[in-house]
Amino acid sequence: MGPVRQCRIGPNFLKAAARRRHLMSKVNEYHHAGLIGGQPEADDKTVVAKIRHTEEGFSTAWLVTPASIWLILFLVIPLVSIIVFSFWENTPQGLKPAFSLEFYGEYFYTEGFFDVEAKRFLLPSVFIRTLGSTIYFTLTTMVLCLIVGYPIAFFLAMQVQAFKFQLALFLLCMVPFWTSYLIRAVAWLPMLGRRGLINQALLGMGIVDKPVSFLFYSEFGYTMALVQIYVVLCIGPIFFSLAKIPKDILEAATDMGATPFQIFREIIGPMSMPGVAIGMIFIFVVIMGEFATAVVVYGGKTSTAGTVILNYYGIANYPFAAVNALMLMLAMVIGIVVILRIVDIRKEL
Amino acid sequence: MTVKKGKTSSGALSNISRRKFMGTAATVAAAGTITGFPNIVQAAEPIRAIGLGVSIINEIQSRAAKDVGFKIRGQAMGYGALFGKTLNQNDQYEVSECYFDMFDVMIPSGVFQPIDTHRIKDWDKVSNLTKTGMLTPGSQVGQGDAPVRQIWVDKDGKRTDGPSRYISALPGWHNADSLGYNPEETGRSIDSWAELFSSDFKGRVALLNIPQVGAMDAAMGMEALGLIKFGDKGNMTRPEIDVLVDFLIKKKKEGHFRAFWETFGQSVNLMVSGEVVLQSMWSPAVTAVNAEGIPCIYASPKEGMRGWHGAISISKKATGKKLDQAYEYLNWWLDGWAGAFVARQGYYMSTPANTKKHLPADEWDFWYEGKPAAKELPDPFGNPLVKKGAVRDGGSYEQRFKKIAVWNSIMSENDYLVKRWTEFLTS
Repeated sequence: MGPVRQCRIGPNFLKAAARRRHLMSKVNEYHHAGLIGGQPEADDKTVVAKIRHTEEGFSTAWLVTPASIWLILFLVIPLVSIIVFSFWENTPQGLKPAFSLEFYGEYFYTEGFFDVEAKRFLLPSVFIRTLGSTIYFTLTTMVLCLIVGYPIAFFLAMQVQAFKFQLALFLLCMVPFWTSYLIRAVAWLPMLGRRGLINQALLGMGIVDKPVSFLFYSEFGYTMALVQIYVVLCIGPIFFSLAKIPKDILEAATDMGATPFQIFREIIGPMSMPGVAIGMIFIFVVIMGEFATAVVVYGGKTSTAGTVILNYYGIANYPFAAVNALMLMLAMVIGIVVILRIVDIRKEL
Repeated sequence: MTVKKGKTSSGALSNISRRKFMGTAATVAAAGTITGFPNIVQAAEPIRAIGLGVSIINEIQSRAAKDVGFKIRGQAMGYGALFGKTLNQNDQYEVSECYFDMFDVMIPSGVFQPIDTHRIKDWDKVSNLTKTGMLTPGSQVGQGDAPVRQIWVDKDGKRTDGPSRYISALPGWHNADSLGYNPEETGRSIDSWAELFSSDFKGRVALLNIPQVGAMDAAMGMEALGLIKFGDKGNMTRPEIDVLVDFLIKKKKEGHFRAFWETFGQSVNLMVSGEVVLQSMWSPAVTAVNAEGIPCIYASPKEGMRGWHGAISISKKATGKKLDQAYEYLNWWLDGWAGAFVARQGYYMSTPANTKKHLPADEWDFWYEGKPAAKELPDPFGNPLVKKGAVRDGGSYEQRFKKIAVWNSIMSENDYLVKRWTEFLTS
């Protein structure tokens, strides 16, 4: 966990947070304009009355019942059965209940282990390597989404003053989500394909004499499509946490002679971290489980952890598919824990 | 395995029919007559059939229902789901419209009951392709899971050496796949699987990404190049799989492959968009590319094609009335209407003589005889599909099945193959 600790929030952030809390206590009395600005505060009596009403009407147990039933039926039970299946045996007569670690071994095992001729240890098993390449593409996309998405969210929250324009532009960001996921992925072909727009332009301008093919069905095209499809997932949360920053603090900072860079480093950056973290978690979780884009945009030329699960599901080797699913889940949980250790969302919300 | 863009299954049909029936019954009861009797017969318990979108198509099962007098609740699914459900949940269907390449798994597992050929009305009309392995005398049987190696069982469902009164499944629709290519782009006609690895088409080649099938296409290519001689392409050994996959990884790193496709639609798109000039392809997909106005030829490689064969099976759990219904449904499949329907998708049926009775002469000549279309011909849903004068590539039915190099198979080393294939894709 060494490098993780290094990534954790430095003293600057802590200072900024302390200062912010101090400022917040002062500015809390004001109402802010904007999408997420403070709500008009209710006087104490109504608040108390509301709480009472809730307590009398529905007890906590009742309130959590629907969600609990839902989660038990569609999350806990399937999850438990995946865990149970992962220990079963796959015999020629079909599945057989058992407690076998065979498929866990298979997941990690590499034949030969030590290559005598080359005098080196062999690579990790193909399944670990596949998980590794999935993580690689996920992290690359996360970084690119942050680079592309943060400025957009910043512009929306900080530069656009009128609420209705904020809302309109934010909805504009969501436009791609109005069409189905597959259409968004397939739509890259007319753009990046051999007979696509870019190739036509390059040919027309005489820059190339035959169509270039690195644009599509390539690592480049794949990463680009992932960023385009999923960047909105981080724009939203970042926008919301930026919009929550009281404008008064920024004004105060300017009045006291802080440069824009200082303001960003000391106030805006740290205060938008929860949004960044939530956005990154969204992207991380979605892309780790991704397999369709790899097929449509990368032409199936890479395997993701998701395609491995599908492949083994396809030959009815459910126990091994379950092992793969659990390993993917483990990697996702570790990833989320790491992100949450870098940023404490709870404290910031 | 050919998965045509499937029409939706008729899972919801039964509800409607039940509601309708209840309504009818209520009316009848109110009227106090017994004229409702035929309705009650009509609403006999439905049977459940599972299969791919190739054979589970609303039009097929609802027509069958009309002819046999009870509903067939069809459920179309993907190949993997079909395989899993057939193997692990044989109480969830009466009839599984599966494929002979699954039978190295299905026969030992005992999920089906042997089918008594004495109860199959048109058994003598079923062609020799599945009975002797040779559609016409002197044909090549082909390596791998040829139907003739999978069909014969005894009354307990155990394999027998040769013909028997009992069969593991009723032979259904089938076809042979090979390579599709754009002649304008390749600049020459393709007549060998070896061309799949020709450096002339580097970066413009696609391969089918279903490990079991893609590996066989690649194996045909390697063998045609003279790089290796496989003992049985339909059942490779581990060292053979290693040689094959290592070669594929080398080719992939050289940038030989443009893409790997998994569905019918993807293969069509690759060809139509010009991304790919040569790829392993299914015959109806070639027709679909042509329908988009893009030239595409279905190659007849001199090494032979890769065949596959549908197998209509009855679950061991089907008994009594349900079993009788299942037999009725099986008999209906052979009767000809279904054969004509699948012919318009480009598939052949095991009872060609019956199919011929239900297919207008023009259509029979085009689909089965390989003759030019005398007029514009329709697809199964009545939309225009084949232009006048077009010729089906790959020749007549007999020519096509005279030389099957290998049949779709699930190898003994299937798990190892899938593992190495994953490595190939990840590399």
